[in-house]
Amino acid sequence: MKTRHIFLTIIAALAMTSCFDSDWDAPDMTNPPYGNNSIAQDEAKLVTIADLKTQYSAAIANSSFQRITDDKQLRCTVIGNDIGGNIYKQIIVQDATGALVVGINGTGLFPFLSVGQQILIDLKDLCIGGYGQQPQLGDEYNGSIGRMSTEKWEEHVKILPTHDQSQIDTLDFDVNMDIDRFCGHLVRLTNVYIGDAGYPIAPEYQAGTPLTYNGSTNGYVHHSINNQSMSKLLLRTSTYADFASWVIPATPVTLYGIATRYRNTWQILIRAEEDIKE
Amino acid sequence: MHNSRIVFFFVAKYHLFVTLPMRKNLLTALALLSLAMQGWAQEPTTSEQEKALKDEANSYIFTESQLDDDADVTQDVIQISSSSNLYTSNVGYLFSPMRFKYRALDQKYNDIYMNGVQVNSAENGRFSYSTIGGMNDATRGIDYASPFESNNFSMAALGGSNNYNFRASNYAAGHKVTLSALNRNYTARVMYTFGTGVKENGWAFFGTVGYRWANMNTAAVEGTFYNSLAYFLSVSKKWGYRHSLNIATWGNPTERAQQGASTDEAYWLANNYLYNPYWGYQNGEKRNSRVVNNYEPSALITWDFDINDDLKLTTSFFGKYAMYSGSRLQYNNSLNPKPDYWKNFPSYNYDVWDLTNVSNNDLAAWQESYDYWTASKANRQIQWDRLYYANQQMNAVGGDAAYFMLKRHNDNLAFNLGSTLNWTIDRENKLQGGIQLATNTGMHYQTLSDMLGADYLHNVNNYAIGTYAGSDPRVQYDLNDPNGVIGKGDRYGYDFNIVVQKATAWAQYVREKGISHSFISAKIGGTQMWRDGKMRNGLFADNSYGKSGTARFLDGGIKIGTNLNLGKGHVVGLGVGYMTYAPTAYSSYGGSAFQAAEMNNNFIDGLKVEQMLSAELGYAFVTSFMRANLTAYFNHGTHMNEWQNYYYDDVNSFTYVSMTGIEKNFYGVELGIRFNVATGLTLDLIGSMADAKYTKNTDVSYLLSTQGTVTTDILYNKGMREASTPLTVGSIGLNYNVSGWYFNLKGNYYDRIYLSYSPSLRYQSTLVRAGAVNNDGSLIVPDQTKGHGGFMLDGSIGHQFRVAHHPLGVNLMLTNILNNRKLVSGGYEQSRSNYTTDQTTGEKTSIRTYNFQKNPMKYYVQGFNFMLNLNYRF
Repeated sequence: MKTRHIFLTIIAALAMTSCFDSDWDAPDMTNPPYGNNSIAQDEAKLVTIADLKTQYSAAIANSSFQRITDDKQLRCTVIGNDIGGNIYKQIIVQDATGALVVGINGTGLFPFLSVGQQILIDLKDLCIGGYGQQPQLGDEYNGSIGRMSTEKWEEHVKILPTHDQSQIDTLDFDVNMDIDRFCGHLVRLTNVYIGDAGYPIAPEYQAGTPLTYNGSTNGYVHHSINNQSMSKLLLRTSTYADFASWVIPATPVTLYGIATRYRNTWQILIRAEEDIKE
Repeated sequence: MHNSRIVFFFVAKYHLFVTLPMRKNLLTALALLSLAMQGWAQEPTTSEQEKALKDEANSYIFTESQLDDDADVTQDVIQISSSSNLYTSNVGYLFSPMRFKYRALDQKYNDIYMNGVQVNSAENGRFSYSTIGGMNDATRGIDYASPFESNNFSMAALGGSNNYNFRASNYAAGHKVTLSALNRNYTARVMYTFGTGVKENGWAFFGTVGYRWANMNTAAVEGTFYNSLAYFLSVSKKWGYRHSLNIATWGNPTERAQQGASTDEAYWLANNYLYNPYWGYQNGEKRNSRVVNNYEPSALITWDFDINDDLKLTTSFFGKYAMYSGSRLQYNNSLNPKPDYWKNFPSYNYDVWDLTNVSNNDLAAWQESYDYWTASKANRQIQWDRLYYANQQMNAVGGDAAYFMLKRHNDNLAFNLGSTLNWTIDRENKLQGGIQLATNTGMHYQTLSDMLGADYLHNVNNYAIGTYAGSDPRVQYDLNDPNGVIGKGDRYGYDFNIVVQKATAWAQYVREKGISHSFISAKIGGTQMWRDGKMRNGLFADNSYGKSGTARFLDGGIKIGTNLNLGKGHVVGLGVGYMTYAPTAYSSYGGSAFQAAEMNNNFIDGLKVEQMLSAELGYAFVTSFMRANLTAYFNHGTHMNEWQNYYYDDVNSFTYVSMTGIEKNFYGVELGIRFNVATGLTLDLIGSMADAKYTKNTDVSYLLSTQGTVTTDILYNKGMREASTPLTVGSIGLNYNVSGWYFNLKGNYYDRIYLSYSPSLRYQSTLVRAGAVNNDGSLIVPDQTKGHGGFMLDGSIGHQFRVAHHPLGVNLMLTNILNNRKLVSGGYEQSRSNYTTDQTTGEKTSIRTYNFQKNPMKYYVQGFNFMLNLNYRF
């Protein structure tokens, strides 16, 4: 009996031990663990994208840069990121007055800055300038506007509580619309024909194809849209995009994308395969 | 003096285990003594306390520290001992802090038997010692056979054979409680054991239960824990004079968290040689991403039939259902969450080995990263809260989880049957033989174990997206359920069974005549294996779902050995053998008969039966003041196969890599000497100098997980060595017994520790691309990276007290007393390239600032550590 008691007692005691790594509760997200929660939103410091573009128009137009010294803040919404591998080390933000590219020297930004997320950017000490006249926030790089480090970005951004994709203003694209006002904007191109039907949208360079590669033998592939002159409008896709092997149909498609500019050419950037509606 | 010492040893040994009357004890001892003198050397003189300590150390190392089931690095340790060889009987535990591998052999060459049935996994060839951890009192009765030692249960294996005796009648009667405190991978242990001995009615019962524990704050490596319950029950019944039946069952449900290797830069930044990148804070609590859950309930039925006094038949049937899973954090098209990901290091910012072109911006970036790493512990660990935040963002846009936890499952249902006949023909001749049958169904699949707050995940191969559009069927993991939505607990990515069936027959003839003890043994067997896919992979739509073809292999071998007792204490021994081995069917440690079992049904091209020629020459010398063993061995393997999988930068893809036609040599000398310096004082000298290397370059082929294509190449691995074991070891030890106290102090030296070489850095095409070509066109193959060796001082103290008329044993083991932190116990070279590659032309495009080859992943030994054991018998 003694033995049986000892045995049963021990087994009972041991059976009560439970798993250490059981279900974990999701952390509290009141203060998002991304960005700088200590930035206090101050209505007096707020500026719009249009204000910034006006104030720094010279730097933007000359494809140079200028460091922002004023204690200003920008409240805007993320409209584009690297989720599809087509936009690289950038996000695009928009407010009611326009859009901007933000250069950040990091990859895998999309799960932290998803489309529809409202953010507050502390502008002081960042640089603004133009790349092919496309306005861009970032940091100095060899005398022109470049990307800021991820550490610096996280110091200067605050994640706001609002996240709403449906509130993003999507323009129906018109090649003749005001490029200074609308460059960088989220647009929709309804029932358009993409050039080079039958080819993948952005294959690695292969000699003998009619595809237009940007500069070197790889990187970006350009396609016409509705047979417009590619000096006015083109579809620009990275060979590293997740949808690079998507085959262009002969039928019209509806595209969503970022209408960036390179000087006076509209360059449409698709964010992900889901931006193409066949 | 010499004889009396041996008599004392046997008396002491048998007094503990069998409560026989003293007179019978002495007779037994004398009988055994005369037998022992026939051998080619005697059991080294061992005190009871020394034996207890060695047992404890062995049990800890082989069954409790669980060296053998970290999939990240080869840690396959062979438990070997020998009654006749001082080197072999000590080497297993002596050099274990550095994960010494016996003869640098894979553990699959160590055959493990239980009551005569072989229990190595039919699928991967190995036996996991961890599955019998925490039940130390149950696992002490082992017959060992070194590679050329005849024995009555097997044809001795290349890495030795062990036969556990799990019969209830084998255990002493009484109760025993053991309490242990230590600062290793667990902190506390409690065990209770009870045995009845053989009762008059022929019944015997033995049982033991144990629990081992550490939490994230007490375990030696921060962020790990240990939670393991163990039980072992055995019942036997003897009837008549001829029959006995035994049933044993055991298991040790274990949950434990792992440590990962990292680079010297990480250890330096963390200021901690045990820095562990696998954990991080979630809501302020420590959470480890690599948690292993393992439970292998096992049962063994044994029938012993003494047909007559000279003919004995032992038949055992073994079955187990093994449930093993290891978790890992997965990222989906997003940033690698590893805190020690290369892009997170300060040295990512500029080439720290070449300061010629460093700008102030680079230095500032380096400083920024350094400050971040050193500012707080949380910064250099996984940031779980951010992963939940990221998934919340993905939920808001209806996207798939950016981060999630997977469990890789390796479940196995195994049945093994072994039957052995022992025939003592006469005083000089013995014949043994038997059959071993094994079947194993390995169920390998991956489940989503924690969504980390995400709403969605689809069963889609994100690695193939890019090569193929997201709408292409080739990106589907399972075409039978395309775009399947995966929830917690659902299978993801791969799901397949591997079935292996083996049958072996063996025989051994032993002859003892005059001064010689000789044996010849042989075996022959057949193996068949197939895969049964449970998902239809989009890249292999016609070749992944359902059964593959069946591959069949014939293997076997022969061994001959003899020992000659030349008199005056001199014994020489010689053994030669030739063995063949069917390829390993599938192993998460490396080794597979399948090209990429996670993706398709194909066997590896050019798969052959491995061949191994082995030879051993030994010399033993015994006098009153010393005993010595000197052994030289040589093993030559051909047609060997290896298999790995890793990310290969130059093709921008995860790859499944098959290497065939490997040739290797393993050779070395082993020395063990014990001097009897004075009464109770002995001095041990134990050491080995070995080599274990590839003797020719190897054919390699790799399958790209991004597109399913296979590329062949030549792997320049000639001269590469077996990794994560010191190839040179030496030890000086002092043992002192006085008045029931036992002390020892051992100084151990380790050197020539190689890290696991990275094949992809040594492909012919890689070397050409990297420009590692001499003017004469020959290739410059990088040297294999080495770890730092050195000296470690270990010691122990033991005593047996009597408390309330019962023995209380106290043992204290101290390891790395001088706290040498610079010893590398293992690791691996990073397989990534120092340059980027143009995916169209295959040319090198630019040099990376981060130098992977100068940043190998390493494990360092633990500093000073101890284990205190109290055991009380009543």
